[in-house]
Amino acid sequence: MFSKRNLVAYAIAFLFILVLNFALPRMMPGDPLMAIYGDEALIAMTPELKAQLVERFALDKPLWQQFGAYFLALFQGKLGYSYYYNAPVLSVILGRLPWTLLLVGTSLVLSTMLGIILGIESGWRRGSRTDRAMLAGLMSLNGFPDFFLGMLLLIAFGVTLGIFPLAGALTPYSGLSGLALVMDILRHLFLPVAALTLAHLANGYLLTRNTMITVLKEPYMLTAKAKGLSQRVLKYRHAGRNSMLPVVTQTGIWMGRVVTGALFVELVFAYPGVGYLTYEALLARDYPIIQGVFLMVAISVLVANFLIDLSYPKLDPRVSYAY
Amino acid sequence: MHIDLKKEIKESGPGRAGLIILLLMIAVALLAPVIAPYNPYQQSTASLLPPSWNHWLGTNQVGQDIWSRLVFGARTSLLVGFGVGILSTLLGTIFGVSAALLGGLYEKVVMRIVDAFIVIPMIIVVILISAYIRPSILTLILLLSLLSWQGGARIVRAQALSLKERGHVAAARSFGAHHFYIAWRHIVPDLGPVLLVDFIYSVRRAVFMEAGLAFLGITDPTVVSWGMMMRDALSFSYLNVWQWWLVPTGVALSLTIIGLTFVGHAAEPVIEPRLRGAEVA
Repeated sequence: MFSKRNLVAYAIAFLFILVLNFALPRMMPGDPLMAIYGDEALIAMTPELKAQLVERFALDKPLWQQFGAYFLALFQGKLGYSYYYNAPVLSVILGRLPWTLLLVGTSLVLSTMLGIILGIESGWRRGSRTDRAMLAGLMSLNGFPDFFLGMLLLIAFGVTLGIFPLAGALTPYSGLSGLALVMDILRHLFLPVAALTLAHLANGYLLTRNTMITVLKEPYMLTAKAKGLSQRVLKYRHAGRNSMLPVVTQTGIWMGRVVTGALFVELVFAYPGVGYLTYEALLARDYPIIQGVFLMVAISVLVANFLIDLSYPKLDPRVSYAY
Repeated sequence: MHIDLKKEIKESGPGRAGLIILLLMIAVALLAPVIAPYNPYQQSTASLLPPSWNHWLGTNQVGQDIWSRLVFGARTSLLVGFGVGILSTLLGTIFGVSAALLGGLYEKVVMRIVDAFIVIPMIIVVILISAYIRPSILTLILLLSLLSWQGGARIVRAQALSLKERGHVAAARSFGAHHFYIAWRHIVPDLGPVLLVDFIYSVRRAVFMEAGLAFLGITDPTVVSWGMMMRDALSFSYLNVWQWWLVPTGVALSLTIIGLTFVGHAAEPVIEPRLRGAEVA
């Protein structure tokens, strides 16, 4: 059963995100339209347009009616209009989204899977030289900010060795298609994915290793060993599978981290995803885009966490008795 | 709580290494005016000079001494880190302990807020707010603290709930001790090690975030910071200046975070005693 407790927490988080997005531009000194639309709108602003916008945001009405108007517009999928791109915010973001999904998805899967495997191997050998070396190594790696790792990879493999492209997601105007296009995309994807994966490898590793150590002390491990099961079965099927449970609950939180990590890595590689879009918007003070990205990222992280919470009792039936 | 934190950290190899790195960084930050040969904001000589006897790490695009900026950057990182660490641990303790002791509706409200904030990706919130108000160092510390006390509050509350049931607390209560008295005399002193672990991780997170925000260029541009230096260096990555500009800065930042991670990890058995003996078993 999904708990009411979590539902309330998600409702609060959702409301906080909406209120913050609504209140920030309106709390700024000066014309709220300026804060909502950014500098670029000033050029396009005519009295008619201004009147129309005031009307749309109910800016001449009391605050609660303004919030109502804002809320209503959101549910109709209207995230606002970017005067910088001269296009609706939603379509600008959706245009960039596939690249970020590709980058984040690949890195999340790779870092989690590699992390689990390394965690199982390391926990199995706990206290040994290999374990201690892996632990120290991965914790050190964890200390490198993703953008620094990205820059190191960029300089080493892009600038110095020239094996990988320096920027972008594909070669512009190359007219490639089919397999050649896929290869081109993969070549551009490699370094950003490597940076993100390395930076977030320790998440899965540390957690799996910790659980592995406690699981190995369980009586059923002794029983399994006494049955004469092989090392591999003991390690992966008995200990490893149980060590993966906490990883599932954390993937939602990690997704949040990898998404924000992608923001920085995209900047380093000028990778045309949502993160780079945010950076461009920060430079141009294109507030509608910043707000739209904030809303979409925050809400998708919430939804991912929510879904993981929902699925968890199915993976570990013990949880449903806990309430 | 019969775990000696000092012993725990000293006995672990990485823990000791982490502590040494941290003390070194703190010393550099404190002695910055003594160590740095130039004023980090002063445009000393020609720009983009390679390393020389006068400028150990060369100069940047406007002719400021990179080594001096690196040394002063430690101040910004550690100031934000320790500022947020202290403030958010304080908030976490106040809300965690009070929730555990008072219970009822108050506890429910506080814990639901904690749960909510744990799922919101904090850095996005900070980026959004920073886009509107370029935060000064002080504002940044306040902002990060307000957004990062929740994890600590959860751990503190769990610990306080178990402490609350101990004999000496029940005894104090039967003598008519007030909530505040119990919290201050009997709960908080026993929370020590837990608070320290929470503190270390808060510092670590804040150092990370400050660097990230400065890298995005949304912190106070008049204060030198490692993230900002890396951002400047990145735009010259096609020159070979990265060797003495980007790499030392990135390494300084990473070392600080690694030091904090090592100390935090060595102290972690305090929160999760089942992990004890993991290093030696």
